[in-house]
Amino acid sequence: MMAGMLRRLPKSVVSLKWYQNSVSAYSSDALKQKEAPIVDNSVILDDKEMKEREKLTHLVNLPKEKTLASINGVPEEHVKDRRVRIFIPAKNAMQSGTNNLNTWRIEFDNRERWENPLMGWSSSADPLSNMSGVVEFNTKEEAINHCEKNGWKWLVSSEERKKKERVKNYGVNFSWDKRTRVSTK
Amino acid sequence: MLSRSKLLFPSIARNIRCISKSATNLSDNLFVHRDTPEDNPNIPFEFDEENKRRIKAILNNYPEGHKRGAMIPLLDLAQRQVGWLPISAMHKVAEVLGLPNMRVYEVATFYTMFLRKPTGTYHVQVCTTTPCWLKGSDEILDACKRKLGIGVGETTKDMKFTISEVECLGACVNAPMIAVNDDYYEDLSVKDTEEILDSLAKGQQPKAGPRNGRFASEPAAGLTSLTTEPPGPGFGVQSGL
Amino acid sequence: MLRVPLTRAICLTHSSRVLVTASARLQSNIPAKAPEKVEVFIDDQPVMVAPGTTVLQAAAQIGVEIPRFCYHERLAVAGNCRMCLVEVEKSPKPVAACAMPVMKGWRIKTNSEMTRKAREGVMEFLLANHPLDCPICDQGGECDLQDQAMVFGSDRSRFTDIDHAGKRAVEDKDIGPLVKTIMTRCIHCTRCIRFASEIAGVDDFGTTGRGNEMQVGTYVEKLFLTELSGNVIDLCPVGALTNKPYSFSARPWEVRKIDSIDVLDALGSNIVVSTRTGEVLRILPRENEDINEEWLSDKSRFACDGLKRQRLITPMLRKPNGELEAVEWETALIGVAQAVQNAGDKVAAVAGSLVDAEQLIAVKDLLNRLGSELLCTEQKFPTADGTSGTDFRSNYLLNSSIAACEEADLVLLVGTNPRYEAPLLNTRLRKGYVHKEQDIALIGPKVDLSYRYEHLGNSSSIVQDIASGKHPFAQRLKSAKRPLVIVGANALSRSDGKAFLAGLHSFANQLTPEDKNWKVWNVLQTNASQVAALDMGYKAGVEEIVAAGPKVLFLLGADGGAINKDNIPKDCFVVYLGHHGDNGAPLAHAILPGAAYTEKQATYVNTEGRAQQTLVAITPPGMARDDWKIIRALSEVIGTSLPYDNLDEIRDRLEDVAPHLVRYGRLEENNFYAQAAQLAKLQASSLQGDIDVKQRTLADFFMTDSISRASPTMAKCVQAVKKAQATA
Repeated sequence: MMAGMLRRLPKSVVSLKWYQNSVSAYSSDALKQKEAPIVDNSVILDDKEMKEREKLTHLVNLPKEKTLASINGVPEEHVKDRRVRIFIPAKNAMQSGTNNLNTWRIEFDNRERWENPLMGWSSSADPLSNMSGVVEFNTKEEAINHCEKNGWKWLVSSEERKKKERVKNYGVNFSWDKRTRVSTK
Repeated sequence: MLSRSKLLFPSIARNIRCISKSATNLSDNLFVHRDTPEDNPNIPFEFDEENKRRIKAILNNYPEGHKRGAMIPLLDLAQRQVGWLPISAMHKVAEVLGLPNMRVYEVATFYTMFLRKPTGTYHVQVCTTTPCWLKGSDEILDACKRKLGIGVGETTKDMKFTISEVECLGACVNAPMIAVNDDYYEDLSVKDTEEILDSLAKGQQPKAGPRNGRFASEPAAGLTSLTTEPPGPGFGVQSGL
Repeated sequence: MLRVPLTRAICLTHSSRVLVTASARLQSNIPAKAPEKVEVFIDDQPVMVAPGTTVLQAAAQIGVEIPRFCYHERLAVAGNCRMCLVEVEKSPKPVAACAMPVMKGWRIKTNSEMTRKAREGVMEFLLANHPLDCPICDQGGECDLQDQAMVFGSDRSRFTDIDHAGKRAVEDKDIGPLVKTIMTRCIHCTRCIRFASEIAGVDDFGTTGRGNEMQVGTYVEKLFLTELSGNVIDLCPVGALTNKPYSFSARPWEVRKIDSIDVLDALGSNIVVSTRTGEVLRILPRENEDINEEWLSDKSRFACDGLKRQRLITPMLRKPNGELEAVEWETALIGVAQAVQNAGDKVAAVAGSLVDAEQLIAVKDLLNRLGSELLCTEQKFPTADGTSGTDFRSNYLLNSSIAACEEADLVLLVGTNPRYEAPLLNTRLRKGYVHKEQDIALIGPKVDLSYRYEHLGNSSSIVQDIASGKHPFAQRLKSAKRPLVIVGANALSRSDGKAFLAGLHSFANQLTPEDKNWKVWNVLQTNASQVAALDMGYKAGVEEIVAAGPKVLFLLGADGGAINKDNIPKDCFVVYLGHHGDNGAPLAHAILPGAAYTEKQATYVNTEGRAQQTLVAITPPGMARDDWKIIRALSEVIGTSLPYDNLDEIRDRLEDVAPHLVRYGRLEENNFYAQAAQLAKLQASSLQGDIDVKQRTLADFFMTDSISRASPTMAKCVQAVKKAQATA
């Protein structure tokens, strides 16, 4: 089967060549190619129609409202009273991985949860809670923008803390300092 | 087709793995401490006067801040004093060196020659590594077991003998051999072994070394080289010089 | 903090200036010129690093993460797991990245064939003896071994147990009521051993045996008794050491994690609260280089089960027959309001140790509107006629900051046991002691601080001698480059605390440290609420209230015992506002159930004066509500509505009172040291008797506030410690 495929290959190379030729011919002549003339209709239009046309050439001005809250249909209680914390997730003390710590997240204030009598699962009346810590932003400005668009009050809570530089040295384990010498290494 | 695919994907053939399993053979020693009537931290331990002097001398060998280097010599002293290394002796060593107890436990459990359970006066260590085994260490071990009526790792009721099976003690040229405390008994036969154990039981100190008449590790059937007188000075020098 | 962006911007520039000066100051402490950097290439990306940097650190600088088990950035390098093997060009063997310092021009390949093969091999060896019990392992889902096996491990196993001989097995150890051990899972990274010996200062862990039979443990049967034992759970990269109270209760992907602040000591350690179904399941530390690094004390970590017990879940009023009766909020508020209205201005409030700033300000505003100034904290702080020791912030703060404590070269501790009053400050001191040749001296009872210190005695006359310069140690402090005087809040709460403050503070100000900005005078607070309360003008100590004999007394979680049946008038109507039915609640005629620190978004100021906020992890149980909201509602019933309706408005009010209270996470510079000392000097008096501390041994550490007193885990700890102490 493999060999069969190889045998067929030259043919496709040929066809490819043809394709390339056609493309290059097309592209090199593109500038010279004659196009359909642009017809200026203004001479034949009546005044009324001209005015309509003119209107359309202007930019459409949308209302300058920045937030989407008024039009996206989210109930008011999930817009007005929500406060959003914008943060970089803290490293999980249990794990050494750091790949999740590079993006900004948003988190909503916690609302009441209760144990569902049917299954014993946790219920909530808060549709936004599942967005907490999940949506990622590359910068905090992006996150702020998103919050402002949705009309949420926000708060940036992580400062970009600089990691302290540490000297790590295997030799220190055997240093001449009598205090450190008491320990394991 | 198959052969061709093998050629095309030689890596598959290479990646066929063999079956293996992990080693679960365990030592007869326990690496945690269990309090027993013979060995618990409440039994007091004190170095005797002679050993105290030795400790002083040993500690002088190590620079300030590195006194912990004396741990193995000190543990050895303690073991020689008691015959084995009780936990209270480890605590004493830790106290002398100003270290946490755990640091001493670590060293004492690492080295198999620190005996952390009650051991007889005579610690009979039978080498069963390949050269000794080829020269009949199995019989020697059997002789020991039969003679003392105990198994490997066990101690006689009178606390005189303990048998251990040990790995190579570096006397392969005089195989088979046993080591009793610090003495090597080499080139053994079953009879020799029984003799040695008998005289030890009587409290005598049998002569250490080879039992087949050899002085040390020279060839058993006489010298095979260096058999003539060594030539004097000027040997082989061009006559003109 | 929800401010308008402009004020935020102003705040930011202001405080960043402070930060710049702070960092410049730190740099000035290092006299040596920074050595020239060397260039190395990680996966062909050039990176400039200081000489001596390890391969692993150099890779981390450009975001290349090298897998590791034994390496931990806060512990010594061990180099024994070999997971970090990487290829270095022209090196015939892979090198251990965690221990190998880079050389100029090295080309390190973290993703080459050799590296991958080395990792796969190491992984295979680790897994050959690791039990396949992930489904029943508590570490499952947050296990480094799992994660790294997924990424770097082989996709098939060569382990075929044809004899059913089983894998290597190790017996479990009993090391206490907090840490559960399943030692068969141990991969011998020795992180726990290094933590115990380097950070906790308790050399109880070690490796015994060797080869296949090496095991990590204590050799003898011994409990791992330290105030920091929970951290070995975090450090353990596998499930060998797990959280005993939390065992089998949840998977990490089921829980919600909320970043918050711990309030069980005055440090304000950063924590992550894991919750599920309205229940706090566990608390983990959150990295904060300035406060708790990456550690958490056992009380902060394990007392969270106290949040579920002994809670006040409904308002209560005392019936004429003396019984407390559960009532509706309306009834309770009306009952309290009536009492308040009848009392006129004879209303007082005592703040306990867990009260947040919002509640403090709401109560203060309410009482001020009623014409009362009787606002006190439970813990005393020296005050004097007319003026107060709390007029200047620098008097009652840990001025030098927690992080700077490890930089000091000579520390004098007075009347404090930092090991149990603030375990994570003690780790800083220990760090300074171990790594930076810091010398520490203590005046007070002889306690075990986990490092060696000079015990100057426990008589308070020594303090006087030092303050007057007579004591030889005073000379040492004078000649020290970066001296610190840390005084325990409990020492200052003595009746002659004034003399402590006066003597030591003015002495501290006479010292001339090398760095002009170095602060010598430090107070180690023990209550999380104390600094915020003093910032707001609460008076320290309840004498004034006792003297005034109020008609209505608000106990804001005041369980410390400063107020009792005998020192308040018989007809005093006591309102207890708090979350636990602890020592304060039985006194109360009305109980208003409040929220615990995991249940409210609230501000706390730690002992160094840093404001931080907790976030809502769960909602308060039953009918309990946010404390400040209760006060706000009560004010309306009384008829003097407080002018804030939501968190933003009350925080605006906080900002009006003290702007630093809403600058979260930042450390404010303090000033007026000279004036504060001058003021204190005027009040000097004599010292008598011995100095004592409340928490001497580990058994005293676990139960110190209403939450930890309600915690069954803490009770078990006390029991275990007492048992161990009895047998030892």
